[in-house]
This record gives sequence, C-alpha cells and structure tokens, in this order.
Amino acid sequence: MIVIIAIILGCIIGAIIGNFAPIISYTYSVYLAIGIIAALDSVFGGVVSSLKKNFDLGIFLSGFFGNAILAMLLTYLGQRLNVDIYLVSIFVFVSRMFNNLGFIRRHYLDKFRKKTAKE
Amino acid sequence: MKKWSVALTLGIVCCILTLAISIQLKTIDNARETAKLTGSLTLTSNELRDQVLKWKEKYDNAVKDLENSDKKLEEIRLQFTQNDETAIQKDEQIKKDNVILGLTDVVGKGVIIKIKDNGSVTRSDLGPVGNIELFLVHASDVVSVVNDLKNAGAEAISINGQRVVNSTSIYCAGNVLKVNDVKISSPIEIKAIGEPDLLYGSLNIPGGYIEIMKETGLMVDIKKSDNLKIEKYDGILKATEMRNE
Repeated sequence: MIVIIAIILGCIIGAIIGNFAPIISYTYSVYLAIGIIAALDSVFGGVVSSLKKNFDLGIFLSGFFGNAILAMLLTYLGQRLNVDIYLVSIFVFVSRMFNNLGFIRRHYLDKFRKKTAKE
Repeated sequence: MKKWSVALTLGIVCCILTLAISIQLKTIDNARETAKLTGSLTLTSNELRDQVLKWKEKYDNAVKDLENSDKKLEEIRLQFTQNDETAIQKDEQIKKDNVILGLTDVVGKGVIIKIKDNGSVTRSDLGPVGNIELFLVHASDVVSVVNDLKNAGAEAISINGQRVVNSTSIYCAGNVLKVNDVKISSPIEIKAIGEPDLLYGSLNIPGGYIEIMKETGLMVDIKKSDNLKIEKYDGILKATEMRNE
C-alpha cells in the first residue's frame, strides 16, 4: 500500500516540477525520448518481477538507469555512424513492454477466473 | 524498514520518469509551435520539420556566437588601444564612422511620424468614380517623407524598424512595401533623429507633403520625441566593386 502511495506521489511531484522545468534543445530531445522508453520498459519489467515475487530493488534501479543511459549512448553512436540505431532500441524495448503487459494481463485474468470459479 | 526504502526509491524513480516525460512533451510542443508556418499551415512531414528545427537551432546558436565574438572583439580592441594614443584616436574614428553608416543603435531627439491607411473609407462610399488608391499608403508617400526629413537635416531615419542607410531602397511590392528588402505594411512608423523643431516645422509647412497626404485622406500623425531610439542596420554594407581612388 505504501508503495502505491509513493508511486502516485512521485508521479504527481514529477509532473509539477516538469511543468516549471525549462525545455531542452530540440537536438537532444531524441535522447530524452529514448531514455523515457527505456525507463518505461524497466518499470513494466519491475511490475512483472514483483508479480512473480522475485522483485529486487538493485536490479530494478540498475536496469532503470543503465538501460536509459545505454540507449542514449547507442543513439549517439548511431548518429555518429549515420545508422538509425535508436529504431532498434525502440523495437526491443516496446516489444518487451508488450510481452510484460501480456504477462500482467494473463496473471490478473487467471486470478479473476479462479475467483469466479470458486463462487 | 525495508518496505519504506523500497517505497521511497520507487517514488523517486517515478518522479524522475514523469519529470522526463513532461519535459519531453513541453519540448516537442514548443518545437511544433516553432515549425508552424504562417497561419494554420504546419509542416506535415516529420523529416522536413526535423530539418527546419535543427537549422533554426543552428541559426540561433550562430547569432549567439556572433554576439559573443563581437563582445570579445570589442574587449580585445580596448585592451590593445589602452596605452596607444593613435590607436585610441583610430578607434574613436571607427566608432564615429559606424554611427554615421548606421551600424550602431543610436538615441537622440527627433520626431515620430505615423502614416496609416484610411480604414473608414470603403469602395461603396466613393461611388463608381472614386479612387480608393488615394486612401492607401504608397511607396512614393514614404519616399517623399524620407526625402523631406533628409532635406531638413535628419541624421538617422528608420521605417518600421528598418534603418535607412546608403543602400536602402523603398519600393512597392504589390500589397506591401519593401524597405531594405524587408516587407512592411501600414501602419508605417518613421522615426527620425534630428533637431526636433526643425524637422517638425519643415514637415508641417502649408502645402507640404504631410498636408497633401492628409488632404487625400491618409491618417498622418507627427509627434516630437525627446528620447528616440533607432535600431542599427542589420544587413551587410557591400563594397566589392568600388575602391578608393
């Protein structure tokens, strides 16, 4: 319960700060976008692992920041090499997100079915 | 205890994530706004928009760089001319020349002239023989006013922010005027630095051009001003063909 409250509070505070934060230059916005996608992927991964009851804070945090930074570095490398590497990172992250979402969906659907079967 | 720390870290992580998302949203919104063409037209191709925004950013950076280099140049010039009498004199001469050429912002006393199309007249008011052209501001009106001002000894003139320098041309371009190749339209504001009484009096003589414009139906307004600022010419003065004899 505390965790959910903390997440909601964090989101609200982040949105409020973001409202007053300065905008970044357009050239760097692509890196931020990739970072956001990577971070979102880690969040879904974290939710799945907590459903599987093997959630580890260290793994989650290192994945959150590590993936984001790695994705940004790859994007930079891609721009230097004139290859759109960021497309591949988006592909990987989004497909993983769908996988994780599928797992979450099945998990709760099973729970719901078991509940209705009992009644 | 462990639960608290987990909750705190997750809260901070979510905070960072939403912060990043909202910054990104704002940036992209701003970029879309910048890439808007006139009116409601937008660049529909992402590729084109991307290019436009990147060039705009490069342009902005270049302007900033130019300003910085100008400042640095000024500092270096000051440093080197500090102990040299002739260099100081030369520097002052350069500054004076730049003021005369119109390459610096200048302030002083002068007059502000506003000329506007007469918006209250319509075609049906005039009838079939009336000429609506008389109620619009033309390039010739602006040229005449500038000539009058120069004749009366104006030292710096600008038309809607465009400084009149030796390469300035004023001509008609359809429904707009072009001054220094920049489009301007009514209302036209001409600022001139000079002896205010002289400029004001010379423009207001009976039968003068201002009176003629007023009679033909334009809205003309002249004001004296004690503190007038005229912007510098931001183009490039060329001297490729001519040289010192």
